[in-house]
Amino acid sequence: MIQPRAAAQSQPAMHEPEQEDKTPDTKLYEELGELARFIDTTMKTLSEFSAPVSTSTEQLPQALTHLTNLKTMTEQGTHRVMLEVEAIQDNHLKLSGMIKDLTLTLQKQQVAPALLQQMQAVANAVNADDKRLLDIMTALSFQDLVAQSVNKLVTILQEVEHKLLQLVVVFGPYQKQAAKKEQDKASEMLKQLEATKNTSMNQDLADEILKQFGFN
Amino acid sequence: MPADPNMKILVVDDMSTMRRIVKNILKQLGFNNLEEAENGQEALTKLKADTYGFVVSDWNMPVMMGIDMLRAIRADEALKKIPVLMVTAEAQKENLMEAVQAGVSNYVVKPFTAETMQEKINKIFK
Repeated sequence: MIQPRAAAQSQPAMHEPEQEDKTPDTKLYEELGELARFIDTTMKTLSEFSAPVSTSTEQLPQALTHLTNLKTMTEQGTHRVMLEVEAIQDNHLKLSGMIKDLTLTLQKQQVAPALLQQMQAVANAVNADDKRLLDIMTALSFQDLVAQSVNKLVTILQEVEHKLLQLVVVFGPYQKQAAKKEQDKASEMLKQLEATKNTSMNQDLADEILKQFGFN
Repeated sequence: MPADPNMKILVVDDMSTMRRIVKNILKQLGFNNLEEAENGQEALTKLKADTYGFVVSDWNMPVMMGIDMLRAIRADEALKKIPVLMVTAEAQKENLMEAVQAGVSNYVVKPFTAETMQEKINKIFK
């Protein structure tokens, strides 16, 4: 490999104090020497980033997984709420039908108007709750917006990961050992998230374990 | 002409939660003949295979975007008269203009309310 700095240094020492006294070749060698030193320093500086860049590059796939999980979890949670809302809506539909039938029967029996008014108040309350249920349903569209934001973040992170990998390849060997030393806050947080994922359990499993310990 | 409560409506969105929300609102508004598709391509296949009276579609979807599906619908002699309501988070003026140029029937920005959807449907089928 050609070493521009070495080449520059191998030139005879120039003692002329005035710039204009130097020959064009000498000036060229000096400038090339400067340039070589600058490149060398830059390469060294960039190499120092190799370890943290390697660390970040290793953490990114984990971060991507957690983001994707976040999307899945909000989706599952939203469907769970929707299931309950739909069940209440179905019950309300039946309830409305029953109130209607009951009101007709009471009208035929010519009951006291106060009783009919009470039936109407019940019907109004059911309708008002139906409106609220619909509001809950539409409010759950937040999940779609969250998912879209997560998708955009995933795309950005994938791009960053790709560029970081390019930097690692160009400016230094991939230092897995060095990366392990870089236990910064981000890696600690990712570890905690990973641990949560591995140790989390559903209620059925928790109940099964509790049962073995005498909980009923 | 008021909307026919028995007409078949196609809800197109890649997010299952949004399809469920839109279907729920439409159901509460009295429409019960509801079908769904996950992207524009799947929607076009369904639209060509059956008779639909109305399409409610998202914009951002994989495989085929809502705007491309809309253009395909308007370019198809058999489908071009189907009203298409875009329900999307793409709230940029440029997006709306693009949709209008492509022949959208109306445009709802997420997040939205049931009242907004009803108002738009009433406008489409007035």
